[in-house]
Amino acid sequence: MMDIIILGTISGLIYALIALGFSLIYGVSGVINLTHGAFIMIGAYIFGELNKIFLSTLPMEFSYLFPILAILSTAILTAVIGSIYYRLTLHQVLGDEVAILIISLFGCLIFQQIIYLIFKPVWAAQYPVPTLLTGELTLLGVRVEVDRAVAAILSIIFFIGLLVFTSRTKVGNALRALSQDLEAAMLMGIDPAKMFMLAAGIAAGLASVGSILKLTSYAEPASAFMWAEYMAYAFSIVILGGLGSIKGTVIGGLIFGYTDAIVSTRFPQAGALMPIFPSVIMIIILIVRPKGFFGKRIEME
Amino acid sequence: MPLIKYLRKTYTSFTTRIYDVPPRMFAFLSLIMLSLLPFMGIPITTLQVLIRINFMATLAVSWDFLVRSGQASLGHALFFGVGAYGTALLFKYLGYPPFITIPLSVLICVGIALLIGFSCLRVKGPYLAIVTFAFPLVLTGVVKYFPELGKDAGIKNLPRIFPTLAYTERWLAEYYLTFALMAISAIILYKIAYSKTGAIFVAILDDELATKACGINVSKYRIMAFIISGLFAGLAGAIAAHSDLFMRRASPIYLSAQYSLIPILVSVLGGMATIYGPLFGTYIYTLIDSFILKEMLNIDDWTRSLIFVSIVLVLLIKWPRGIGRTIVEKLEDLEEPREIEEILKEKGKKG
Amino acid sequence: MHMLEVEKLKKSFGGLVAVNNVSFIVDEGEIVGIIGPNGAGKTTLFNLITGFLKPDSGRILLRGEDITGLPPYKIANKGLARTFQIVRPFRHLPTIANVLVALQSHRGKRRIEWIKTPERKAMEMLEDVGLSDMALEPAENLSHGDLKRLEIARAMALEPEIILLDEPFGGLNPVETEYMIKSLQRIHLDGHTLVIVEHKLHALMKLVKRVLVMHNGEVIAEGAPEEIAKNKKVIEVYLGKAI
Repeated sequence: MMDIIILGTISGLIYALIALGFSLIYGVSGVINLTHGAFIMIGAYIFGELNKIFLSTLPMEFSYLFPILAILSTAILTAVIGSIYYRLTLHQVLGDEVAILIISLFGCLIFQQIIYLIFKPVWAAQYPVPTLLTGELTLLGVRVEVDRAVAAILSIIFFIGLLVFTSRTKVGNALRALSQDLEAAMLMGIDPAKMFMLAAGIAAGLASVGSILKLTSYAEPASAFMWAEYMAYAFSIVILGGLGSIKGTVIGGLIFGYTDAIVSTRFPQAGALMPIFPSVIMIIILIVRPKGFFGKRIEME
Repeated sequence: MPLIKYLRKTYTSFTTRIYDVPPRMFAFLSLIMLSLLPFMGIPITTLQVLIRINFMATLAVSWDFLVRSGQASLGHALFFGVGAYGTALLFKYLGYPPFITIPLSVLICVGIALLIGFSCLRVKGPYLAIVTFAFPLVLTGVVKYFPELGKDAGIKNLPRIFPTLAYTERWLAEYYLTFALMAISAIILYKIAYSKTGAIFVAILDDELATKACGINVSKYRIMAFIISGLFAGLAGAIAAHSDLFMRRASPIYLSAQYSLIPILVSVLGGMATIYGPLFGTYIYTLIDSFILKEMLNIDDWTRSLIFVSIVLVLLIKWPRGIGRTIVEKLEDLEEPREIEEILKEKGKKG
Repeated sequence: MHMLEVEKLKKSFGGLVAVNNVSFIVDEGEIVGIIGPNGAGKTTLFNLITGFLKPDSGRILLRGEDITGLPPYKIANKGLARTFQIVRPFRHLPTIANVLVALQSHRGKRRIEWIKTPERKAMEMLEDVGLSDMALEPAENLSHGDLKRLEIARAMALEPEIILLDEPFGGLNPVETEYMIKSLQRIHLDGHTLVIVEHKLHALMKLVKRVLVMHNGEVIAEGAPEEIAKNKKVIEVYLGKAI
């Protein structure tokens, strides 16, 4: 029982981090940005490449710093890409929900093709992501890998950080205002275009960090096609928890984490069926309760 | 015999208006040209491309028909796949020949469409797109998991529809079969789209509330649209599974995103929510893709996809009205407007 | 038996009570007006009666039959038609198709005399409201006044017994208003029962024999137009208490 709780919480928190940006964009601008999956993918590749670059160009005494440096740089780089991408594409068709969906989906395809063409020789352009930490520790009687535990803790830090950012800083407050009442926020002089770009950037950055944490600690390779699977995860988590709500996203992520843990520990044979789990959840929720279980657009807490 | 009378009537009504309706003239000429094309000595590879066009065009026109009723699905590959797997499984476990398994498979598709249409009644706009996107993903996962369903490789060695023909004749036969598929689907969908039922679909698209206020059971019609759309997509899938072009096998590839997204792409290119649009768009897309980019410029598959997706992305951004505002301006008049013209003339006579 | 009976209808949205215990009766052949300041709950009332909203409590009876909670299309098919305050044409269809859609309903199909095709019937409906020249014109090209008339034609296509009109005079110039008054009078004389929500009091008062006044979700007064015009409460509600 304990193993499910511990393992589930850890993987759940990491899932939540990956989904967080998606929830953020929707909360602030009402945009369902399916390209989020692509940023999850890009983050992993950028990280891998940066890591290689650092290893070959920077002095080796600081090698323990490289991962952190790489993660930060990846996050910033992905954030910039995400921000610009948003501005050039989705921002142009704000208000047209179906167009946004189709465009963001096609955006994923574009990134997929670009990544594939660059990393081609390997099948599906699979990309092994380096493991950062090794070793296990025992937590409450359960054997847990160190990097996963660290990843989970980092996720918590990011959640808190985001909460603090949106409630204490001026910019964060602006984002919150936009998510609650677009017109009122505009009347107060907040420029939605800039804020939406910022939200898109933050979302992409968070996606890349989450992706890096997940892939490195679970030793899964990245691939040019991984965006679909992760997008399904992110979407289902956010739908479960309620679009636009940070708390909801965390809860949704945890639900996924626990389910993942239950299946992998108690029903390992069904493991191959797991990839469709988020899709099934998504379908059920959208049909039965289109608004999700918690929060609406309003909440950003 | 009434059938002869009907055919005659259709023929006269089609041809008498051909001269004043340029698109019809164009359609008529293309029809003739396409029927004669194989005899103009084209290589088998080109014929294969044309066969593929026929399949994709059928898929596209069935998808676009659904859009007409205000329901934009991002997972049309589902019906393509169900059609293929339906006939494959029926053959594998019951041993029936194609001319039985294909119609049965279409019936299965209709059942699935009913299910999906029904469950999606409450799901609106963007969420509908997402739900429909998820369906083929789920089916893919299921199919890959159960060995009875063929797992990753799928179900192979399905019988040909024309087993007795030699190589070249076989491809010709396949061409004409798929051409008939596309033409018949297009004609039937055209008749429905421009009938009073079709008008109801457009009404639902335009204003669902007002349609309800007019006493129309919107749910019934939405499901109907799904069924009609799924039927033709499924038929295409079922025939594809038995074709040499698709290696005579049913595999998860029928459910892959490309078969959901290409119909969208070509419909946007050719004009959404029309009948000619997806057909035209498929030809244009294939022309540019296969012939120009592939043959002439020798660009590989992946880069071509990249180029196309980028182009469509830009198109969508500049003219999102092709998607969001889903009907192209030139909506042709209703079926039988002649009767109205006659009524107007009579009124004129009465003065 | 009354044509329409509304019994203690109540509807709230969150904390806001939009319709508060409203009851009234409309008899066959009557022409009744409902007035009241904005936000009084008139459109919500219409939406409740026509099935677009479900009441929290209360009943609606059409010719004695309980239609509470039925979906809008079923109510329309039972003979209760409505028009919308903001016109809702089928933009991409030709004008005549707008009417043809309504004729595809059960009620619309049932009532077509076997000798007339739906197209002919639709043309007649258009002629009745003066839109026959625009028959093949896409509805989106019609002027506002024309669209208002199209709303009427569509409602009439159902051959209803009672029609609920939500601000039929909205946005009409004086000429169009006169025409609309005459059309509605003619429809009334043909035997249809009308319930009209309207802001343009001078137009409404010419038309109706009985008026209900709503305010804050309640019916605060009821009577003949002349009485209502003199009713203190009504005047207060419209002009504010400072009189």
